[in-house]
Amino acid sequence: MTDGDEQRERFERARRMRNYAVAGVLLFLVVLFFVMTIVRLGGHVAD
Amino acid sequence: MSAVELGPKSITVAGGEFATVADYFALLKPRVMSLVLFTGIAGLALAPVHIPLATAFTALVCIAAGAGASGALNMAYDSDIDAIMTRTKGRPVPQGHLTASDAAAFGTVLAVGAVTTMGLLVNLAAAGLLAFTIGFYVFVYTLWLKRRTPQNIVIGGLAGALPPAIGWAAATGSLAIPPLVLVAIVFLWTPAHFWALALYRTEDYARAGVPMLPVVAGKGQTRRQIVIYAALAVTSGFAPLALGFAGLVYLAANAGIGGWFLVQSIFVACECDVEREPQARRLFGVSILYLFALFAAILVEQAAGIAPFAPLTAG
Repeated sequence: MTDGDEQRERFERARRMRNYAVAGVLLFLVVLFFVMTIVRLGGHVAD
Repeated sequence: MSAVELGPKSITVAGGEFATVADYFALLKPRVMSLVLFTGIAGLALAPVHIPLATAFTALVCIAAGAGASGALNMAYDSDIDAIMTRTKGRPVPQGHLTASDAAAFGTVLAVGAVTTMGLLVNLAAAGLLAFTIGFYVFVYTLWLKRRTPQNIVIGGLAGALPPAIGWAAATGSLAIPPLVLVAIVFLWTPAHFWALALYRTEDYARAGVPMLPVVAGKGQTRRQIVIYAALAVTSGFAPLALGFAGLVYLAANAGIGGWFLVQSIFVACECDVEREPQARRLFGVSILYLFALFAAILVEQAAGIAPFAPLTAG
């Protein structure tokens, strides 16, 4: 493996980790919005 | 005057090799976040309206995320000076675990997510205040003041002082005197807290080129300013009693631990060991304890239903 390949792999690993972190934040927000919607609808979900 | 010459402030930072979840967590400045969250909870609890538990939880998540976003964006911009300072060189960006752009991307997503969520699920007043707080910390403090003036943490301290107002706004949709008094107390507390730290990290700040007060005006001037601001903080700490929204527990906290905070600041002013600054180190800890005690007293009084004193203005 050349230095270039190794650097490329490191870069991709770092980018992957950043994408996971951002995805984690977005997923948490999706879950929060879902739960809050259900809580606000309360007993009227089936109406 | 013993001002220290400002040093270089540019350094190349590589990164992005070994990022873990812990690195992203460290970007949030969890210790700062916990104090911000705590003062936000006090503002929320103090509000004289009932707020559904789920809405309160959402507001606190947004305040925490907003504080974390501010921390991440600060670490993205300040990675050059963080790498120089002993106190901050272990952070993920100077360590090379993350790049500054990773931190910036993470902080931006968090900030936008926190403000949007606050606006959609809580109310627009709280969202506006949260956006202002994040913007003030990032643009006014980090980008503008931090490297330019020794008043950086005095003015920039407003960002760290606002969470009680955000908590109150989350509950009521507006602002009032009580949360603004809490904001003023934290605002006046901030200089003594950070200058205590700067006294025993003066060389660190000088090397990094950050014009903290001991670096540009000398330690003697800083000691005097610490006593003045500690006195102002403790004096303003009595305002909630005079205005009728705090009671006996709060009085004990402000008089007892506030008194300790003030006496410790005088010890700092009389420090003999200017190399190790043991009194300043102690003041840094006491200042955190003082703020924690004040807001814990508010929470205890709200939870236990302890009646506040009658306001002095009442006929």
